Amino acid sequence: MDTGKNVQKFILPMGPQHPALKEPGHFEFTLEGETVTAASVRLGYVHRGIEKATESRNWTQNLYLLERICGICSHIHATAFALGVERLAGVEAPPRAQAIRSLLAELERIHSHLLWLGVTAHEAGFDALFMYAWRDRETVMDLLEQLSGNRVHYSANVLGGVKFDINAEQATAIRIGLDFLEARTRHYLDVVATDATFLQRTRGIGIMDHELAKNLGVIGPTARASGVLRDVRVEAPYAGYRDFPVEPVLSQGGDLEARCTVRLAELLKTYATIRLILDQLPAGDLVARMPRKIRAGETISRVEAPRGELFYFIKSNGSEFPERVRVATPTIRNLASAMALVVGRHLADVPMILAGVDPCFSCNDRAVMLSRVDAEPEHWTWERLRRAGIAHYGGRMVDAGEVAP
Amino acid sequence: MTETESTLPDAEALLRPMGGPMTTPEPNRLDVSVPASQLVAAANCLVAAHWGHLAAITGLDGGAESGMFEVLYHFCAGPAVVTLRTLLPRAAPVVPSLTGLITCAGLYERELSEMLGISIAGSSNTDPLYLPDDWPAEVYPLRKDAQLPGEISGTGAS
Repeated sequence: MDTGKNVQKFILPMGPQHPALKEPGHFEFTLEGETVTAASVRLGYVHRGIEKATESRNWTQNLYLLERICGICSHIHATAFALGVERLAGVEAPPRAQAIRSLLAELERIHSHLLWLGVTAHEAGFDALFMYAWRDRETVMDLLEQLSGNRVHYSANVLGGVKFDINAEQATAIRIGLDFLEARTRHYLDVVATDATFLQRTRGIGIMDHELAKNLGVIGPTARASGVLRDVRVEAPYAGYRDFPVEPVLSQGGDLEARCTVRLAELLKTYATIRLILDQLPAGDLVARMPRKIRAGETISRVEAPRGELFYFIKSNGSEFPERVRVATPTIRNLASAMALVVGRHLADVPMILAGVDPCFSCNDRAVMLSRVDAEPEHWTWERLRRAGIAHYGGRMVDAGEVAP
Repeated sequence: MTETESTLPDAEALLRPMGGPMTTPEPNRLDVSVPASQLVAAANCLVAAHWGHLAAITGLDGGAESGMFEVLYHFCAGPAVVTLRTLLPRAAPVVPSLTGLITCAGLYERELSEMLGISIAGSSNTDPLYLPDDWPAEVYPLRKDAQLPGEISGTGAS
């Protein structure tokens, strides 16, 4: 409310630990009254120096290292790297492997989008939706575990193909899971479009029209919710998407409501793609033979992560180790847009606008150094870290006999 | 005609007046060498024509023997990728900021600057983005000869 008096200017630091987001990022918002007039961001709290670390690991070790950039979209990082290294080596993974890569990527998209739906609902104060979304997400987590043995780091890729096949029993389990998730997704689409309280937090908020979205350079669902077609699966199909095309979902809304509906509506397309892959899974080998040393050269590998375009630049000097691996993740691009969108909005909208771009800080922040405030920084070798891990969990190991029926 | 065929020649036509050498390392890619002094003009050729979007900025260290850095600006449109390549002397590496043309370039430039020690001329924000506040000055971790504090560059099992 403009009272005509001089409004006190505040700078409000938020984070790295803060009530609005569950991941570490530091923001500074300049406020005049309740209105944000400037915003800046400081990252790096989970930076692990992974780009540097790739230079001292061989091509195979790097596949596993890069998969650990993100704990949400792990598979897509390994896929981007594997596709790039295969191109450098002049090797094409077999069609069945490419289809399984895309199948896993789409399952990962389901878990990522449902996780996002929960976080956004929570930021809006709609915790019932948050809990239902995360309950349903367990369906896809169980499927991923059934396929790979893991909930998060599936390690499905090897250089030249994939590690595991999909059998008839697993395909049936996926189909049953998708039927359940499809019904739930349709319900959530209805909820985000009709729930009056939720709409108060999303409709007309954080508006980014087509032109602004293009200028801010946003990508992924954040762009598609402003009518900008940015989807690498569609623009430059890779892996299994050449055989199993994806239909993009666009909205002209440009506000938070559109970002909600686009993500949910594209889940429905994802279910269709997975069913198609399962129906027409090409027969054949899972792995093509790869050389140990990769011939010198540079390549660019682009894939569509759940949050948007994931960009890998890979340079080989002809040895067993890469010369340089550059990873550009979608969040950094979308976060820049969030910093622009909060300006002029009320402080209370900030968490929702941030959540609207589905930020993922691990993706941005890639360096291992243990540092305590009360002591000198302590450096651990990988071996020491490994032994500490074994000792820690060894002490807690549950005897299988205790839990078996 | 695929989209690549229609867009890469467009980019080539847009960048031809810049006069830099062009190569096609892969069928969907066009690399254009641009001196730092013409970088903004070259980027503007693409931006003004609404050709693609800046997907990433990559800094490469050629090592002390080569005495050069190379900064790559990757623009993507559909499947096509155009890379503007700028060579810089390791002794005084400076590139102009693209933030006047491309808003989201700022965060990439901050990363490039702190990781390789390349100065960004005309940048409004030069604060570190990722590195800790107590990171030692003049230590640029992505340089090949970087003396990193402690063992953070350790090679796994060694």
